[in-house]
Amino acid sequence: MNDWNAMTDAEFRKEVRQFFEAEYPEELRHLPHRPKFAEIEHWHRKLHAKGWVAPAWPAEYGGMGLNAAKLLIFYEEQQRWGVNRGRDMGVQMVGPLIIKFGTQEQKDYWLPRILSCEDIWCQGYSEPGAGSDLANLRTRAEIDGDEFVINGQKIWTTMAHDATHIFMLVRTNPDAPKKQQGISFLLAPMDQSGVDVRTITTLSGETEFCEVFFDNARTPRANLVGELNKGWTMAKALLSFERIFIGSPSLAQNALGQLESFARGRGAFDDPVFRDRFAQAALDVEDHAALYARFADQLKRGETLGADVSMLKIWVTECFQRITELMIEAAGPDGGTIGPLQVGNISVDVLASFYKARPTTIYGGSNEIQRNILSKAVLGLPG
Amino acid sequence: MLSSEQDDLRLLRESARMLFERAGGSGRARKLRDAGGDFDPEMVRELAEAGVFGVAVPEDNGGLGMGLAAGGIIAGEVGRVIAPEPVVLTIGLSLGLLRRLCPDHPKVPQLISGETVLAVAWQERGPGGAPADATCRYAGGKLTGAKAWVVGAAGSQGFLVVAQGDDGQVLVLVEANADGFVINKRAQADGSSLGELSFSGTPAAELASGRAVQDALAEAVVDATALAAAELVGLSERAFEITLDYIKTREQFDKPIGSFQVIQHRAVDLHVMCEVAQAGVGEALAQMDGETDPKIRARLASRAKARAVTAAKKLTRDAIQLHGAVGYTDEFDVGLYLNRALVLSAWLGDDAYHRRLWFEAREEEGAAQ
Repeated sequence: MNDWNAMTDAEFRKEVRQFFEAEYPEELRHLPHRPKFAEIEHWHRKLHAKGWVAPAWPAEYGGMGLNAAKLLIFYEEQQRWGVNRGRDMGVQMVGPLIIKFGTQEQKDYWLPRILSCEDIWCQGYSEPGAGSDLANLRTRAEIDGDEFVINGQKIWTTMAHDATHIFMLVRTNPDAPKKQQGISFLLAPMDQSGVDVRTITTLSGETEFCEVFFDNARTPRANLVGELNKGWTMAKALLSFERIFIGSPSLAQNALGQLESFARGRGAFDDPVFRDRFAQAALDVEDHAALYARFADQLKRGETLGADVSMLKIWVTECFQRITELMIEAAGPDGGTIGPLQVGNISVDVLASFYKARPTTIYGGSNEIQRNILSKAVLGLPG
Repeated sequence: MLSSEQDDLRLLRESARMLFERAGGSGRARKLRDAGGDFDPEMVRELAEAGVFGVAVPEDNGGLGMGLAAGGIIAGEVGRVIAPEPVVLTIGLSLGLLRRLCPDHPKVPQLISGETVLAVAWQERGPGGAPADATCRYAGGKLTGAKAWVVGAAGSQGFLVVAQGDDGQVLVLVEANADGFVINKRAQADGSSLGELSFSGTPAAELASGRAVQDALAEAVVDATALAAAELVGLSERAFEITLDYIKTREQFDKPIGSFQVIQHRAVDLHVMCEVAQAGVGEALAQMDGETDPKIRARLASRAKARAVTAAKKLTRDAIQLHGAVGYTDEFDVGLYLNRALVLSAWLGDDAYHRRLWFEAREEEGAAQ
């Protein structure tokens, strides 16, 4: 077994880069949509054989056991080469939770199935009345003998129509004094009559989001992870690394590269106003990357990130949006056209980029929620 | 673990901060402004004792040899207390020119020790008021013509003037009390003044000539631009701290105004802008220290100034708004920061100007590859 953490950063980066460049299927690079598992299965098999499905998991559970610094490099290389994250909800969300809070039986049963993608997971957190105010969720799970009976509705469940299992936050004690206290973390199979999935068509015409309805759906009691009514704190404990990942400069950097080639091909740089706005965007990306590097250095020194890391997400997602808006401007009369626009020997789908940028300020804790967090936890503002 | 270099930088920052705080922080800047806007020669000497002016001068020439990033740290502290002392002027421009052109000149140790302050004059004003080609001439030991936009003219003992000589540009030294030399002071928003200099057969001593003068001037201006950016970042940070304190204590509708979400979100945006500026400008200066190509150094300085001005404008203007009516009074310090930001933004080019230079430099580098 390799001790990746013993390698220098440069060696490790080279190793990861070489693997992606040699093995990642060309047709899957920079996929503009979220693939169904069948579409990327051949890539997943390679990754699984290499033992690289779960970079963050400890080696004893089949992961790479990367420390934060190496993990960041892994993700940077993944994004740089346009490697699709695959159906990684199991690896990113359920696996770490089971590793941290699950029983030995749960670990033995679920973890190998996550790595092999025998089970494909979706995340049942948001509900129609519980978005930013997630703790307001109402989906009930009641104990009935050896099972939980689930009733309610989840929404924005990414790729639920292509998942075999759902991990969810459910209300198990409606009478708890604080709404955060009556919530549990539960695993459930999707393939049963009490579960109904409907896709939601987004502005871009994609159907990656779903609504999931539970009508007396059932799951064994053994599928409760951690203690009953302790789901909220468990789910929150997982978010700390995600917060730097979601603020990484790569999305904006890639979009800026696209904008530059497109604008050049279209002659947009002849316009001094456009030049200035491009320079603003490019400098916004460059200076964000400098700030990101500071947080990354903190991780590399083994420090835990504070709430201030939220600022990365705010800045980079808003910057990403401005860049895609500039693409539309550069497209001129083609700015409302669906599909790729050809410029010289490159093609750029400006609308796809524009749409892709829109939800980034909403998901992962909307930018308004991030501002609330910074206001209270970092600036110490009252109320 | 901090490296010894980082340790040195930290010590430098702390000593500069202590020195300014002991002297009265931004309150001192207000007193000096009210007294006529000149800097305090005593403070110049104290700063010199702390090693401030020689920070970027190589050790062989009597400096600390710590580079531009260290200069930026000091400039940031100057910005925090809006100190009027000619720190960026000396580190970036006067010593920037002399250490490149004539490092053994006796003025070098005098500048490092704070015994003397020299302003630098190179720009000229055309008939329409905009910058124009240099016509100020030096011949036979005499200088004739005019120079404009000279920072620090009021308190300087002498002037480093870039003029047209018989064979291209020359750098000459003019004493402040020289004959045939008139300084017209134009008051600026922060109480300082810009000098408009006119020379008529003024005696001057030639220090250097030829292509080297042009190159050294360009590099000194680039250094000063980057340092001014660092000064603006320090200024922005402090303006934000003052504003944050204010919104935590000012009550309306029986609550601190900082408990209102609209204020909170604006405060967060200012904080984020400040952090981005600190990171971006810090990285640009650090990269300048590791870079010898003057064009790339110039691009990095433009990146720094563009970001710093963008941030300082937003920070100081929003600071006024968040203070409400009292922000518009002279009594509150936040206005001093706005005024200083106006002056520092205009000096050596504002954000739009530097974005243009940055873009052009980037295009040129791209075309060369």
